[in-house]
Amino acid sequence: MEEYPEELRTPPVSLIAVVGCPELHATLSRHLHSEQPPINTLALPDFSKASLLFSTTKESKDNDDHETAVGGILKRDWLLKHRTKVPSVLAALFSYDQLSGDPAQWLQVCSLLDQLKALLRPRNVKFLLLVVVPHQSSNPLNDDIGEDRMLALRKRAELDPKYILLFKPDEPSELKQSLQRLGSAFAELASAYYRDEGRRIKLRLEKKTFNSSSIELHVRYCFKVAVYAEFRRDWVEALRFYEDAYQTLREMIGTSKRLPALQRLVEIKTVAEQLHFKISTLLLHGGKVGEAVLWFRRHNASYRRLVGAPEAIFLHREWMSRQFLVFAELLDKSSAAIQNISSLVLATKDTPLTEWESRPAYYYQLAAHYLKEKRSSLELALSMLETANEMDNSAESVVPSAYVGQFARLLEQGDAFSMLPITDEEYIRFAVAEGKRFQDSFEIIALLKKSYESYGDLKVQRMGSFCGFQMAREYYAAGDFTNAKQLFDDIASLYRREGWVILLWEVLGYLRECARKRGTVKEFVEYSLEMAALPVSSGIDTQSLRFKECGPAGPASLAEREVIHKEVFGLVCGESELPQVESRNNLQITGDNPLHLEIDLVSPLRLVLLASVAFHEQIIKPSVSTLITISLLSQLPVSVEIDQLELQFNQSDCNFIIMNAQRPSSAATSDDKQGHRVETSSSLALATNKWLRFTYDIKSDQSGKLECISVIAKIGTHFTICCRAESPASMEDLPLWKFEDRVETSPTKDAALAFNGQKAAQVEEPDPQVDLYLGASGPAFVGESFMVPVTVISMGHAVYSGELKINLVDVKGGGLFSPREAEPYSLDSHHVELVGISGPQGEDESQLGTDEIKKIQKSFGLVSVPSLKCGESWSCKLEIKWHRPKPVMLFVSLGYSPQSNESTAQKVNVHKSLQIEGKTAILINHQFMLPFRRDPLLLSRIKPVSDSDQPASLPLNEISILIVSAKNSAEVPLRLLSMSLQLDNDSVVRSYSTPHEVEDLDPALLVPGEEFKKVFTVISEVNSSKLRLGTMCVRWRRDSGTEEQSGSTVTSVLTEQILPDVNVELPPLVVSLDCPPYAILGDPFTYLIKIRNQTQLLQEVKFSLGDAQSFVLSGSHIDTVFVLPKSEHILSYKLVPLASGVQQLPRFSVTCVRYSAGFLPSIAASTIFVFPSKPHFKVASVRDRRTESLVAE
Amino acid sequence: MPEKMIVCVAVVGHQNNPLYIQSFTEADDALKLHHIVHCSLDVVDERVNNPKKSGSPLNETFLGLLYPTENYKVYGYLTNTKVKFIVVTTDLDVRDADVRNFFRRFHAAYVDAVSNPFHVPGKKITSRTFAERVSTIVKSFGLSSAG
Amino acid sequence: MGREVSESCVDSLLTEMVSSYCDRFYANKPELAARRIEAIGFQVGHQLSERYTMERPRFSDHLEAIKFICKDFWSELFKKQIDNLKTNHRGTFVLQDNRFRWLARMSVDPSSEGGDLSQDNSAGAPENKAAQATSMHLYFPCGIIRGALSNLGIPCAVSADISNLPACSFVVRIKA
Repeated sequence: MEEYPEELRTPPVSLIAVVGCPELHATLSRHLHSEQPPINTLALPDFSKASLLFSTTKESKDNDDHETAVGGILKRDWLLKHRTKVPSVLAALFSYDQLSGDPAQWLQVCSLLDQLKALLRPRNVKFLLLVVVPHQSSNPLNDDIGEDRMLALRKRAELDPKYILLFKPDEPSELKQSLQRLGSAFAELASAYYRDEGRRIKLRLEKKTFNSSSIELHVRYCFKVAVYAEFRRDWVEALRFYEDAYQTLREMIGTSKRLPALQRLVEIKTVAEQLHFKISTLLLHGGKVGEAVLWFRRHNASYRRLVGAPEAIFLHREWMSRQFLVFAELLDKSSAAIQNISSLVLATKDTPLTEWESRPAYYYQLAAHYLKEKRSSLELALSMLETANEMDNSAESVVPSAYVGQFARLLEQGDAFSMLPITDEEYIRFAVAEGKRFQDSFEIIALLKKSYESYGDLKVQRMGSFCGFQMAREYYAAGDFTNAKQLFDDIASLYRREGWVILLWEVLGYLRECARKRGTVKEFVEYSLEMAALPVSSGIDTQSLRFKECGPAGPASLAEREVIHKEVFGLVCGESELPQVESRNNLQITGDNPLHLEIDLVSPLRLVLLASVAFHEQIIKPSVSTLITISLLSQLPVSVEIDQLELQFNQSDCNFIIMNAQRPSSAATSDDKQGHRVETSSSLALATNKWLRFTYDIKSDQSGKLECISVIAKIGTHFTICCRAESPASMEDLPLWKFEDRVETSPTKDAALAFNGQKAAQVEEPDPQVDLYLGASGPAFVGESFMVPVTVISMGHAVYSGELKINLVDVKGGGLFSPREAEPYSLDSHHVELVGISGPQGEDESQLGTDEIKKIQKSFGLVSVPSLKCGESWSCKLEIKWHRPKPVMLFVSLGYSPQSNESTAQKVNVHKSLQIEGKTAILINHQFMLPFRRDPLLLSRIKPVSDSDQPASLPLNEISILIVSAKNSAEVPLRLLSMSLQLDNDSVVRSYSTPHEVEDLDPALLVPGEEFKKVFTVISEVNSSKLRLGTMCVRWRRDSGTEEQSGSTVTSVLTEQILPDVNVELPPLVVSLDCPPYAILGDPFTYLIKIRNQTQLLQEVKFSLGDAQSFVLSGSHIDTVFVLPKSEHILSYKLVPLASGVQQLPRFSVTCVRYSAGFLPSIAASTIFVFPSKPHFKVASVRDRRTESLVAE
Repeated sequence: MPEKMIVCVAVVGHQNNPLYIQSFTEADDALKLHHIVHCSLDVVDERVNNPKKSGSPLNETFLGLLYPTENYKVYGYLTNTKVKFIVVTTDLDVRDADVRNFFRRFHAAYVDAVSNPFHVPGKKITSRTFAERVSTIVKSFGLSSAG
Repeated sequence: MGREVSESCVDSLLTEMVSSYCDRFYANKPELAARRIEAIGFQVGHQLSERYTMERPRFSDHLEAIKFICKDFWSELFKKQIDNLKTNHRGTFVLQDNRFRWLARMSVDPSSEGGDLSQDNSAGAPENKAAQATSMHLYFPCGIIRGALSNLGIPCAVSADISNLPACSFVVRIKA
């Protein structure tokens, strides 16, 4: 686009001229240029220049229109003329002094005006008068003389008064106003001028006033109308006429006979190019990308086949290239302006646009393509001319002629120049000479680079790669191998990834040559090997590929692979050198210059050598040999003889070498390698696509992982390939070959090994020869410190730097604590914790050396074991405490090294585990009882109790009895040391009246299942619905028989349990039965029933006394009594027992009407023993005892 | 006899690897056709990933014109199994219906070829029968509906 | 295409294939046998899906493809559709066939097989053996489903559940 003249490239700008008062011109032109739209100013210093300006164009204008024989389509300078020479408006500037001055001056003005008018009228150039009024002078319109003069001036100039403007340059505000007025007047007049001109030409077009056969004129007029429309910024009309011109021009191709055929085509194409440029610009300017693309398609379609004469093909291709380039640049520019090009709906119904057609990249690429074609056809044309020896200097005087797209010979005859038409042959010679001057390859690279980058921005990688490929080829041809290699490498990786072998072959061919030319042996060998191993065969897909354009490697074929293979192996074996690199050392591989290749899992050279290693066993005993299979595969076309194979393991002691038995010479040289194992194999020939398998035994003394790292193949004396070992189980398919339709074989014959084989195996530890005992007995009890003795006994190994690790794990899984349950008696929430580790007897913690580790956490412990010699033992004790009954797994592991040398020795580990049950030893229960034969009516008991959690109710101020039992739920006998009720300090009122202090028992022995009970008397003196009673404390210890066990502690354990809250309430009625402790047959006794009303209310009480067989009784059976407040009603019966033994007293029941509550005394309370005759007792006087035994029933 | 309109057909696997590529041209630009086919995969990707922009009906197997090159037109087809068919025609007026018809027959031939129990999925198609059938379909391109 | 194959032939072929791999080729390696049978199914599913999706637009999501398997694909194979399709909307689909053809004629009653299994050691063995034999027959259809789906661009793992015969559920877990 840059090669287009400025006037074509940019939208037309109106041109006006100013004359007179030259000091103001700069101000004027600056202002006009900054107008929107801008106006260019032609400043004529004095009036004589004006006539000069117009005189030159005079006659040509006339010729132009009425010429019978048209010389061309478009005049070359017409557009330029309108942009720079032909003003649309001429403004004459007169100073006010000139007008108001003396008559001589006035006359001069008049004559100047006449002159100008005469000049302008035939050309329709608009005229404008500007009167410059200096600041000091008065306004001419207010001045009589001035007004007259102005009137005269108007008449003289024959102008509309609005086109005579006053201009006041001296006052800033006035100046601004004047300039604005001036600007709009200029714009208006210019627009009028262009409209008139356009209309004039249009008229000609419509009336066909010109020679109708002359299509040239039609095109020219359309072009002119369009340009005038553009001056007026009437884009629609401009577009219409450009299109008209373009289409008319297209029809011209076959019909015009004006010029020799070749030059005619050149002219038409040049004009078409200009017209198309205009159309595209206008369309893109209007944001119509889709339409512009369609126009371009049409343009391309109409001209691409107009190649013209065979010797001028290069001209056509150059032209084509330029079309693409220009359109690409236009798109580029407009896509910057139109931000989101992709959001435009590009597709229309009939002709859908494809994705790239709206992208500049696509056009750059094609421009490059045509430029390349141009170059080759130019070379052809050049060689033809040179062979014909027709190159002479005749091309030198050929210059562009007056018409666009035409050339002529310039003849100098003295001072005069004349243009002579030239023949097509001369023109070709001229064009070839011109073409020779350009360096096309730089241009091509630049175009491709633009395309490459542009595709890269769009993330269109394949198109981009193709551009890159073409670019790299240009670099290659230009001898820039560094740039070429870089690009080729990128592209090769894409083709490798997607398996485009034929394309890859070509790229690698170039890369190989780049390496050869750059003298990089390693790269050369790598590329060569890769090429040789590519899956190219004489399959059907390559059969038809007869590349003419193929790269330096030649066509992809098996034969070619073999050639490359042989060449590279000749090189690596030192048998041949690669010559042909000028001025550099030949490529060669020698002792000074050995070659080492690495092949890893992602290397493209995996095709060349693939090493699969499989251990036959996954777990190996130390120092026991197992089998390992090494399999090698190569896709090289010719079989390769390997001189030696070296296997490298992570344990370098296991490394070994396989020698080729057929190459004894090399075996001798490598024999003295630091004592490594050397095996010999009868053949190490690696055939194409055939696994070469070896199976050897291997053993390791060192525990841990044994992994084969790599397999190093040595070929020749100075060439090695280090191939990373792969496991058959996780081996990836061979790249590229995986798409080939071929039989796949597995690296090992054993199918299972091929599926599961691993290149690494685990070498087990040596068997430990140390015993670890966990000597724990029986279950542990909650609360006690349970001791687990741990003993380490060395049986065959000495123990060095031993370490004991202790872990406590919940048997059910999960942690040993639950944060949800808040435990009032254990601050931390561990249910089981490791409290301590004590050393062997007598050894205190202080005696443990500082270097010895001892670390104890809640469920983890670490303790170091001192060095032990063979046969020695060591023990310690673990102290574990349970807070909750819970089974726990105790894991103890001993890690030690059998040798004292710490750095090399490997650790041996012994693990032991033991499940220990944590149990509750003592179960504490309690119950409340009321005093015998005394029943308070507790209202809360009467009400239906839905809630079982309801606390027990106790009557206020009555004696209640609390029985606490401690049951041995363990399996071993326990000794109870004490049992006490601890009152809570925070209970405000002392609610106990009977003994509550700690009472020491004789250590009572409790066999498993046995219960120990203790009775407390409680009188509650406070009326509270929720009274805390306190905590039961039971102190106990294991009963260790007569002799205390040495290790286990005899410290007692305190088990505590909080008694539940009780409800204390005042019973409204208390019924007590009173009768003697026993009766004697036939002996009457009194049975008193006392009903005590504790309320302030009168209580109506119904009672009844049932009959009893064993008694005769007196007194009322059923009655209703009223008991006064705070008083007692006594019912008295006299009973005579009729039978002996335990007898049931008459059943008595009471109903309190107020509370509609009744009660029956319990059976036990209403039972009496009747002696047949009066017994004789020896009364023991321990009263407490009696109560106790009574309750215990 | 009209000049041969189809110059190249290709089957491209779902890893964008060529499974079958055959050119039908006497000219020596087979390598260029490889490039053209390879480049067309970009358009297939673009069209499948942004179906709205290209305005083609959603999920139709026939993808239409992928792009015009300097001398050829490239059409695409994407099966449900993510296998791409690419056909390169000369830049004459090619009717969409013809191309669709071609692809339908080509697809049938492809399915028959890969249904061969001896064909391993994902590998190149080396069947001679397939090649012959493709060549027949290519030869009859544009004739059936034109006649 | 209109080519037809006898159902009983297909049934017999399946039985024969399973017994060949389990009892002859890989008699002691049931895992390997399962892998091979699954691989055969995979190829069959791969190839069949190629054919049965020929005349239809591309699937836009996984569910569409699964539905295709349930309806058209299953109809082509078994002349019936999958009876129940469940999904957790996180890539797991359960396809239940209430009467799976290839299990319909399979006897799993241990007593009827007592004759050949009598020499087996433990008492629980016949039942286990029967279940194992049944599951061996399911590697093939699992492979078919996996092959078809992976050819449709959905890599997945397929397993079968035969807790209530003759209904059979295929569980498809799509790999992320």
